[in-house]
Amino acid sequence: MRIYNVILAGMVAASLHACTNGPTNSDGYINHLSFGPGEETKIAEALLTLKDSSKVELKEGTYHFDNLSIAQLKHILIKGAGAEKTILDFSAQSQGGEGLRVTDVLGFTIDGLTLQESKGDLIKINKSEDVVVSNVRAIWQKADSASGGYAIYPVLCKRVLVENCYAQGASDAGIYVGQSDSAIVRNCKAYKNVAGCEIENTSNAKVYDNEFWGNTAGFLIFDLPDLSKRGGHVEAYNNYMHDNNERNFAKSGSFGSTWGVGNAAPGSGIIVLAASDINLHHNKIINNNSAAIAVVSGFFIDEKAAEKMNDHYFPIPRNIKIHDNEMQVADSFPTAVYAHHTGKVLVGIEQMLNAQDPSRKNARLPFITWDGITTNILTGGKGVNPDSLCISQQQPNLFVNADALNIGKPSWKPTTDVTPYVCK
Amino acid sequence: MRMCYVMAVMLLACISCNNGAQQKKGPFQFLDRLSDYHFFEGDLKLLQPRKGVTSYELATPLFTDYAVKDRFIVLPEDSVLTYAGDGLPQFPDATFIIKNFAYTDTLHQKVMIETRLLYKDPYDHGWKVMNYLWNKEQTEAERWLLGKRIPITLLDDNGEAHTTLYQMPNTNDCKRCHINNSTLTPIGPKWRNLNFTRAGHSQNQLQAWAGMGLIKNLPDLKQVAALPVWTDSVHHSVNDRARAYLDVNCAHCHIRGGDAFNTGLFLDYESTAKVPGVLKSPVSAGGGAGGLDYDVVPGDAANSILHYRMNSVEPGTAMPELARTLVHKEGVALIAAWINEMPKR
Repeated sequence: MRIYNVILAGMVAASLHACTNGPTNSDGYINHLSFGPGEETKIAEALLTLKDSSKVELKEGTYHFDNLSIAQLKHILIKGAGAEKTILDFSAQSQGGEGLRVTDVLGFTIDGLTLQESKGDLIKINKSEDVVVSNVRAIWQKADSASGGYAIYPVLCKRVLVENCYAQGASDAGIYVGQSDSAIVRNCKAYKNVAGCEIENTSNAKVYDNEFWGNTAGFLIFDLPDLSKRGGHVEAYNNYMHDNNERNFAKSGSFGSTWGVGNAAPGSGIIVLAASDINLHHNKIINNNSAAIAVVSGFFIDEKAAEKMNDHYFPIPRNIKIHDNEMQVADSFPTAVYAHHTGKVLVGIEQMLNAQDPSRKNARLPFITWDGITTNILTGGKGVNPDSLCISQQQPNLFVNADALNIGKPSWKPTTDVTPYVCK
Repeated sequence: MRMCYVMAVMLLACISCNNGAQQKKGPFQFLDRLSDYHFFEGDLKLLQPRKGVTSYELATPLFTDYAVKDRFIVLPEDSVLTYAGDGLPQFPDATFIIKNFAYTDTLHQKVMIETRLLYKDPYDHGWKVMNYLWNKEQTEAERWLLGKRIPITLLDDNGEAHTTLYQMPNTNDCKRCHINNSTLTPIGPKWRNLNFTRAGHSQNQLQAWAGMGLIKNLPDLKQVAALPVWTDSVHHSVNDRARAYLDVNCAHCHIRGGDAFNTGLFLDYESTAKVPGVLKSPVSAGGGAGGLDYDVVPGDAANSILHYRMNSVEPGTAMPELARTLVHKEGVALIAAWINEMPKR
């Protein structure tokens, strides 16, 4: 009888296995592939013939690729020996928009390697779900407009985690999450990019425990028109944004363009553009020497923003909460700000405030710059704070309503009274 | 005894599960060589179709480095294409679509490069892609996943020579253009792009096919949309020709659900925008935009990103991103004319 039991158990196990084709390995992946440096061709071929539920291990060393791609799969892990150990170099890229491209993968993880020197973006993850990018360094050594746009670039994805990553040298954003839903960026660092990190048209994002420094702007939360979805509901906390004062080397739209990262003024800590339901708290925002925090509407950069309103775009930021952030700035603007179009506007606001009020004794631009454009211009309303801007900060010289609609007119009058906007 | 019964049930369950998998034939496996399919008779490189293999052309084709293209469709026996409105025909399972790429060398010889296959697999009713690389001897094409950069010197449409590294795509590259909303589909043979009279033929291509019994439910041709022939300046306006060109060369990605969905620039012929891209700022073009502000600046091609990227061969800038290493001078000229004739704003 006992022997029958054993046989039965065996049969059950066998039948389950045959029917579900379940994982055979403790790491949860069915197929296991492993490669070393020099096997680039084999790797490229393996990625073209990957099966669902595959782990691809890349041993320590430097690999040289033109470009790589992974498409239409489920449950894939690309695993290096560690960010400093496994290096994928794309300096030979001859076509395509990125070094490594991932499209339509449900369950994609890349962990423990360096991606570097592609012509386009370093890693673009398009239309995928349950995406994890961890312990990845994504780097261009030379930070100029010849660098690709984004180092780490999930777009049109659902459920994204970017963790323990480092991005450097991107001519747009180092870590960029675009048109996605449910994203976390944590324990990451970004240095010498135009924007350290950008959350664009992405909803339900949390950004915490990161360090963004040495960029043009530390952190951006942007909503742009004409895209597949609206962003919003973004919380950023416990981040350290400091010394983001570099010139804006974004090629596209550096000068005169209405939209995009080219608008980020050198010396920006955090910029919120046209995104709503944002909570910025307990961040250390130090020595970003133009605006520690800027909150602006689509109208700030495009007077025709109202024409672009639809289900996917609303130009005026609503429900912006700013509280308990530590902020400091240096005595003067960064040099690069004077050559930048929105930078000049910030300089102009500081000059105007000081001209209006000599008792400011030539104080710096306040920490928080708000463009002062509310939904009143759409509704004809007269409410003082119709969009529930809520600020709870103790610093002196805290806030300026830039009265952006009147910049350049004789009636222009930026004001510094934060009282109507203090959180109730 | 009861235990034995349970065991027997388990055993049955197990067998039926395994049987199920076996009864259904596995997914289609592409053959090793092009000749293995017996699509053609005689010397393979002459591409003489056997019975049941139908050659076709498109009113406006995709540009690929001035490549000379031959296209064929192979329907399984007793099967037809079904017309069910605009867009693509309904293809029967087990349809092959064959596209051969060659170039004209400096001796004016046609040199075969690659042959791309699309197959509609009865296993899951989905399309699959494979590529075949022609050998030096020009006698055979072998299954080739990896793509290849092939140094060639070709003559363009005006007999001018260009030396380049032709980019044969890998199978994922194929998918990039052929996937829409996560489903792989053919691109070229849409009804509107088949609906014309081929050079040297007297009858409209669709009419000819209907006569051969290849199409079911084809309405009167007047009711079938027709894509303008992009070079036909006698019958079509610059606008119509440009929109046809953009549809075929760009809209496989620049369409809702396509690879460039995230850019918000939609260039399909049916796009709701009367004039796509006008004063639209780039989203994620980065340096690819060349420092320009808008996709299309009416009256000013030189400051339009669309024109700039079509006129470039730099990776990261060049559009389309794949399978083009030379500028399509004639195509760029058409787009320039289209933009420049728009009234300035």
